[in-house]
Amino acid sequence: MSAQARPAAEIRSHAAEKGKSQWLLKYSTLIALVILFLGFALTVDRFLTTSNLLNIVQQISMLTIVGAGLTFGFGAKEMDLSVGYTVGLTGILVPLMLISGVPLPLALLGGIAAGFAVGAANSMLVTLIGIPSLIATLATGSILYGLNFMTTGGRAIYGGLPDTYLWLGQGQLLGIPVLAYAMVLFVLLAWFLMERTIFGRYIYAVGGNLKAAELSGVNGRFYRSAALVVCSLFAAVAGMLLAARLGSGQPNAGERYLLDGLATVFIGMTMIRPGTATVIGTFFGALFIGVINNGLNLIGMDTYIQSIVKGLIILVAVAIVSRTTNLRLL
Amino acid sequence: MSVRLSGITMQYPGTRALDHVDADFTFHEVHGLIGENGAGKTTLVSILGGSKQPTEGTLYINDAKAELASAGDALRKGIAHVSQEGSLVASLSGAQNILLGDEPRNRFGIIDKRNLEKRAADLMSHWFPDVSIDLSEPVEYLPMADQKVIEIVRALRGDIKLLILDEPTATLPAREKENLWRIIRSLPKRGVGVVLISHFLSEVKALSDRITVLRDGRHITTLPGSEVTEAQLVDLMLQRNGLAASQQASQEERSFGSVVLQLSDWKVGGVEVDSLSLRAGEILGLIGLTGAGHFGFARSLYTGEGFISGTTLFRGKAVPNLSARIMKANGVAFIPDQRMENSLIGDWDVRENLAMVHPARGALGKTGILSPAREETHARNAMSLFNVKAHSSAQKIKDLSGGNKQKVSIGKWLYGTPDRYNLMIFVEPTEGVDIGAKREIHRHLKRMASEGAAIIVASSDLMEIAEISDRVIAFVSGKAGPEIERAAFSESRFIAAMAGVTS
Repeated sequence: MSAQARPAAEIRSHAAEKGKSQWLLKYSTLIALVILFLGFALTVDRFLTTSNLLNIVQQISMLTIVGAGLTFGFGAKEMDLSVGYTVGLTGILVPLMLISGVPLPLALLGGIAAGFAVGAANSMLVTLIGIPSLIATLATGSILYGLNFMTTGGRAIYGGLPDTYLWLGQGQLLGIPVLAYAMVLFVLLAWFLMERTIFGRYIYAVGGNLKAAELSGVNGRFYRSAALVVCSLFAAVAGMLLAARLGSGQPNAGERYLLDGLATVFIGMTMIRPGTATVIGTFFGALFIGVINNGLNLIGMDTYIQSIVKGLIILVAVAIVSRTTNLRLL
Repeated sequence: MSVRLSGITMQYPGTRALDHVDADFTFHEVHGLIGENGAGKTTLVSILGGSKQPTEGTLYINDAKAELASAGDALRKGIAHVSQEGSLVASLSGAQNILLGDEPRNRFGIIDKRNLEKRAADLMSHWFPDVSIDLSEPVEYLPMADQKVIEIVRALRGDIKLLILDEPTATLPAREKENLWRIIRSLPKRGVGVVLISHFLSEVKALSDRITVLRDGRHITTLPGSEVTEAQLVDLMLQRNGLAASQQASQEERSFGSVVLQLSDWKVGGVEVDSLSLRAGEILGLIGLTGAGHFGFARSLYTGEGFISGTTLFRGKAVPNLSARIMKANGVAFIPDQRMENSLIGDWDVRENLAMVHPARGALGKTGILSPAREETHARNAMSLFNVKAHSSAQKIKDLSGGNKQKVSIGKWLYGTPDRYNLMIFVEPTEGVDIGAKREIHRHLKRMASEGAAIIVASSDLMEIAEISDRVIAFVSGKAGPEIERAAFSESRFIAAMAGVTS
């Protein structure tokens, strides 16, 4: 193309127009988040207090970790619908082990191992047997749900949990909740893996074009499996922290992390690289969900109204992504 | 009786795809439209077909000013566009495809199958009485040429005066092309003008009454097809004079190295190869009609897909289990056809696509940690080596032209330190690529061979095969035929060999 011939002003206006719409798309979610935050800050008395803001951080830390894990799955175009029950699984398994006298480091390791086992099972069903991940993890989620209730008889596990464990979920370090450190740690880890390593690049590659990746010599089965294993591992970590925060292991505590976790990823997909799940996008997605949950709670909105609001937000986020990119999830 | 374009300009952010183009397309001619990739052909026919609106300029139909708001609007005004990719629903029959969206229904609103088949057959025999295609078969089982004919009949089902054919023969093997050529030639006599875009200049010249040349978004000239040679057309497209385009680099004698690949009694999928050996520095061409198995063979040589039996000696060592990863580790590169499906990630930028094969070269040591600075350096080197035209390495692949995409598809194997591959396998290396990029790619193939790579090229472009190969094997119905040495190359020899005629 001849660059000299065209009038410069015209090009600039076109470029500016395109730039503006791109900019709007990328930042619309962030702007909405700021508006939401300011709205709550101006209308709800207790919203803009240090203790409430720290509360929000604590509330979203587990969600962010689940969402960060799901981001790996979405990157490889694999869905994990079992994360909520994986959160529940380690949330009862680790307290059970601790109560029966297993030392804390070993119990935590046991939780990680349980997460790995779930991820390995999911990935085998998906990559070896060939069941679409959406279906396979729906089924394993149901199995985990049953197991969780079978193990506990549907009752919460509490009492006799060591203080160090409870400190992880409830304590503070330099005036900031330990959970916040955990969240930052796992977000940074996930970001680094996804954006700065060959591992992450290949997870995105098998999601972007599996055939092209495999013909380039990439082990497609490995990276699809790895993405699902990371989903489960992050959910396992979130489950252990959740039980520590609640001070008890509850078989149904993890359930809401599935829908909320998916919501964080969907909201995140509207920003950074629209249409692609990114760790930073997911983080802001979790912040979004956290602010809404917290604000609506303070207003005294019923939980079922909150559920409706969240459903609508997911729809809007997915609508934006679907309209502007060629999103395919299955 | 024509569609006339006056002062058509198409301005995209950063580029002007068309710059005050004037052209007229009458309803009783085949009008060839040629130019390099990026010259504006696709944009021009998109405007003509209503799917894009020009930023400036006017369109006249029969001298009356007209505006085409959409492809549907253009159809109603008598202009139909058959795109390059093919738009048939693979699992539906020919008849169902022809009447897609306009199915006859009975009084219960249910599709009337008998009526549908009859109307489709009538349409087919009205337009092309001497063509026989089974319209009850799902189109995916039909030869590519028949599928194209079905697409054309579907496009003609309304009251169409101008038919745009974008690369109608790009996916067809040589034999099937001739039928389609006859069909294209017959249309102007029936009052339907044809706008023909094709990378095959011989085809454009043979079919077109007039030829319009575009370059850099500008109308260069419109000439009667009978008054111009292919070489002149190339010069017009590339803006060169004096230097005859047909002047081909004389094939210098090359010496070949040691044997790289040796196959015996190979059976893979439906293909049999009794024996094949290839030396370093040699370029082996594989040709055949559609379904002859040469593409599948070339692919299986790298992926091992469908491998049944046979021995594979690679640099003297037996390779028992072929797979993409094992072959890659052995220094084999595979550059597939249909690059957007098999090779590239459209949403990724140029840099990420280039880094796909050897990301470790953009990493810090052996840590697996990517260095953005290193990746950028390597990407730039690969881009300049292959002369990839993009705004920057951060431009998305899907926004590049076909030729530049193909260069990235090849270039990604040479990202980082330029590799010396033992074996490089190419399938349709210049599919949908303009003539300038094609020349560059051929030069690279020869250069890489001279640096010691053994190269296999499976292509349906016989000119390409003749230009670059040292030796050719024609596949006939899944069986590798006898070899043809360079000295014996000729188009007629190739065509005879593909048809199984041995002489």
